[in-house]
Amino acid sequence: MKKIPIIISIFTFIAVTVIISSCSSTNSLADAKSGAQLWGENCLRCHNAPSPDTFSDTEWDVAVMHMRIRANLTENEAVKISGFLKTAN
Amino acid sequence: MKSKYIVSLLAFMIAVFWNPVIAQEVQSMDEFQKLKQEVELLKNESDSYKPGLSRFLLRGYAHSGLQVTDDEFSFVGGSFNPLFIYKQSDRILFESELELELVGGEVELGVEYANMSYLFSKNFTIRAGKILVPFGIFVPSLHPAWVNKFPTAPLGAGHDGILPSNDIGLELRGGSYLGNLKVNYSFYAVNGSQLNDGEDEPEEAGILHHAIFPDNNKGKTVGGRIGFFPFSNSSLELGVSGMYGKVGAKDSDLEDVVAVHYAFDLSYVKTLTPLSSVLDLKAQYAGVNVDDAKFPDHENPDDFVTFDNTSTTWFAQLALRPALVENEFVRNLEFAGRYSALTTPEGSEWEVDDSQIDIGINYWLDWRTLFKVSYRISNSSAGEHDEEPGEPGHSEAVAGNAFFIHWAIGF
Ligand code: HEC
Repeated sequence: MKKIPIIISIFTFIAVTVIISSCSSTNSLADAKSGAQLWGENCLRCHNAPSPDTFSDTEWDVAVMHMRIRANLTENEAVKISGFLKTAN
Repeated sequence: MKSKYIVSLLAFMIAVFWNPVIAQEVQSMDEFQKLKQEVELLKNESDSYKPGLSRFLLRGYAHSGLQVTDDEFSFVGGSFNPLFIYKQSDRILFESELELELVGGEVELGVEYANMSYLFSKNFTIRAGKILVPFGIFVPSLHPAWVNKFPTAPLGAGHDGILPSNDIGLELRGGSYLGNLKVNYSFYAVNGSQLNDGEDEPEEAGILHHAIFPDNNKGKTVGGRIGFFPFSNSSLELGVSGMYGKVGAKDSDLEDVVAVHYAFDLSYVKTLTPLSSVLDLKAQYAGVNVDDAKFPDHENPDDFVTFDNTSTTWFAQLALRPALVENEFVRNLEFAGRYSALTTPEGSEWEVDDSQIDIGINYWLDWRTLFKVSYRISNSSAGEHDEEPGEPGHSEAVAGNAFFIHWAIGF
């Protein structure tokens, strides 16, 4: 049971690192990728990649927001993926 | 002289009014006005259909099938899970999923999750309500019937397993980049699990019950999961989860009993061009450690029982879908194999040391509709106490070797 404070401090430490870095880092890998590429890399990790013609533009707005939260995407990734799905549907 | 003027004026007027070009222009001006009016009308009409900021999706999934065991050959009702997603604005989303399940001829209604998210920055979302606990990968990412490659959950990971699935609380989650390393994270405080003290159900002494409300104590359970993507194409995700909290009832002897849950998970999805296939590997190892505690001994009322309350469970699954071959029939096939195991405390009434191998072939009708055919080989060595037989018709509780044909649809 002595390990518990260690586990908690590791989590806290990583949490703080992530918060600080996310406030400062604007240049990320995702900036260099297109919406189609991000869709191809992210949307098949849990289920088959959804076909863009599944939904209308307004429906994609809701589904991508839902998946942004579920799959922990950044805003930038979600905006690009949504843009791709709406042009390819 | 005067009449000469009048004649030429008349001639001029006739020339002007009879000029076909000018007449046509006058006519097309009319048409233009009419067209303009029509466009205006259409614009007004289409504006009336323009969606507002607030949007709504009604989706979900359903599944059912046939299962064959040593003593059962039965069509099973499976479940219907309606999912409601309300996008209130660019920052606010509400999601809720119900589960209507046929269990032994009765309909069970459950609320899988019902929570509100507030996307307060590019990298953080705050969520409150009943959530799928971000512990490991099976429950948060893989459990819906059209996502799960098999008709059943792996041992230990489903609703009836030893791991948390949903709970009420508050969560902070999101994704970010540490330099070029993509990470995602989730931290939460929930009511937490409750320890069965064995007073009423001696056979369940020491078991943790999840998702029961209200909480049995004032301490909240805290936890988190962090996922890393070591490769820049996001194909591999490695996750670590932890959860810590008191599980005993307030003002009881077990008040200070603490449970620690931990898990490691892996997901690797990659298109293998030489095999014209998509490879999908998922694995999860999880453990639960509950402080030692004394439970009443029902055979000997003056005495008590105790045991090392540690359980572990893990699964690994591999699926291969020849998604890039020419032949459409072959392209829609998927071959899947899974191993799962569960060990519960030695000396407890619910001691088991089980494992299962599931092998299956799936046929995809579209990206979220499929047929699953699978065979399960069970290896059960249920300590000295036999496992309770499962509810008939409830595939999660099917014991022994079994054959399944299921369909699942996500919509
Ligand atoms: C972390 C795993 C994960 C990733 C990554 C993921 N999804 Fe999902 N997705 C799910 C799960 C789980 C569901 C089922 C939701 C439910 O029933 O609770 C789902 C459901 C859906 C649905 C059905 C409607 C809905 O919103 O539930 C759509 C559409 C969808 N995903 C699209 C996408 C797109 C587009 C991406 C890429 C941005 C994506 N998914 C990435 C796990 C994931």
